Amino acid sequence: MDSMNILSIFIQTLVGGIGIGSLYALVALGYSMIYRSMGLVNFAHGSIYMIGTYFGIIWYRGMVMGLQVPYPIAFVIGVLLNAILGLILERIFRPLANLDLMLMLLGTIGLGYVLDNLAVIIWGAEGFAVNSPLPNEPIVIGGVALLPQMLLLITGSALLMVGLNVFLAKAKIGKAMRAAAQDRETASAMGIPVNTTNALVFAIGAGLAAAAGILAAPIVYVNPAMSAAVGLKGFAAFILGGAGSIPGAIVGGLVFGILEAISAGFISSAYTKGIAFVVMILVLMVKPAGIVGEVTVDKV
Amino acid sequence: MSLEIENLVMRFGGVVAVNDVSLNVKPGMIRGLIGPNGSGKTTIFNVVSGYYKPTSGKVSFDGKVISGLPAHQITALGFARTFQNMRLFKTMTVLDNVLVAMGHHCKTNLWQAMLNPVAVQREDKMLTEKALHLLSLFQIADYARERATSLPYGHQRRVEMARALATDPKIVLFDEPAAGLNEKETEWLSETLLKIRDSGITIFLVEHDMKLVMGICDAVSVLDYGKKIAEGDTKTVSTDPVVIEAYLGKEEDL
Repeated sequence: MDSMNILSIFIQTLVGGIGIGSLYALVALGYSMIYRSMGLVNFAHGSIYMIGTYFGIIWYRGMVMGLQVPYPIAFVIGVLLNAILGLILERIFRPLANLDLMLMLLGTIGLGYVLDNLAVIIWGAEGFAVNSPLPNEPIVIGGVALLPQMLLLITGSALLMVGLNVFLAKAKIGKAMRAAAQDRETASAMGIPVNTTNALVFAIGAGLAAAAGILAAPIVYVNPAMSAAVGLKGFAAFILGGAGSIPGAIVGGLVFGILEAISAGFISSAYTKGIAFVVMILVLMVKPAGIVGEVTVDKV
Repeated sequence: MSLEIENLVMRFGGVVAVNDVSLNVKPGMIRGLIGPNGSGKTTIFNVVSGYYKPTSGKVSFDGKVISGLPAHQITALGFARTFQNMRLFKTMTVLDNVLVAMGHHCKTNLWQAMLNPVAVQREDKMLTEKALHLLSLFQIADYARERATSLPYGHQRRVEMARALATDPKIVLFDEPAAGLNEKETEWLSETLLKIRDSGITIFLVEHDMKLVMGICDAVSVLDYGKKIAEGDTKTVSTDPVVIEAYLGKEEDL
């Protein structure tokens, strides 16, 4: 192999890592936003991601009354349906938010199982591959071959992340959400309906997870078991970046995805998960607050 | 527009924090609420602002019972408050702290925000100007873009007061606003509280600084061990032997 070739393989691997990393980042954002606003680590989030993926893809694949819906419309339907699921779940989780960690853990893990098994009952345990709405021919730029769907995943995720940040920083509702996350009581004394903003946080988290799942579906395999696989990595990215930090979730997701891709491409695909988690543990040993640990989020 | 507290009882397990307290705050007045530490002052504030549901008794405002309503609805009725331990939103700028409290003045909702960004921008600009004006009244407009918690302590107190007023309240509950202030700042505080009252906003004040309380309150209620032990104008209260005893202990204890 000449050096030019190694470089292009490296870039190709890197892009793949960024793609999968954006998927992890969008899932990690859901963990992070819910943790910030309710102090709740939502272990059902991986299942919410899986359900959201189905919510979109079943329309695209014509699984609902044989109706074949174009990909962009299926995407929007999936995101909206999952946001509604988020609203319902917030109502279920509301009493858990003030309880101790063990009860939260049991409650959210339990609900995750319920969602996973509902998916198996409704859609079957067998998964399926999803055809990309874009051409399957890779685009070759300077010797680097890139799948159009991968580029869609990366740009789509980037747009969502930028949009979320602008929303949280600028919009009044975003400010209210940040305020409610920081200090529930004070925020309600300022006239902010904290339960409503929490519901919105859940809806946005679930919507982002669905968006990630539907964008990535043509690249990964869709089955109910993906809730555990991606849920765990999204959780790891959330911890790696710094629990409760929005930029941290994004950085954590990308770092995790890139590490996985590089270790799969250059070391061995058998060790992919192991290497990524070892790096996560090493980072946390040096920086327990995560890469972008926010000192001000002082929730347990 | 008067605030009425009737036979309020607040129990936490076996502890009776507030025991059958009745008092009222008439419009346009400064009502002081004093008493030794742990006598139930902040608990009363927390009931009035909707954090606690009273064990029994009721709180009404303008003839409408408000005890039991969620805090954000009570705020919407015209209540605002500051906190003993000053609870600014730590990661936000001074300006954002104030803007957050203006939320319920927004005419535009989320859908309009997405569909008509121009109207939202216009409103944002208007609210920002209003917030800056409020900050200039408290002489902290220069710090508007700084992180609230980076300001000196006395200035953070001002941010908290500006934030309380930003909700456009009819009545403000100040919980120990003079705590940690030096003499000069306390003087500024007492002038400001009088100005707020004179602008038509009713004030309910918990404070340990007796000079401040006696200087500005129109009426004072005294609590001890959760019970109201005295009430009246500042002169009556400050010479009441029961009050002196509560603060200093009985003569034979000394």
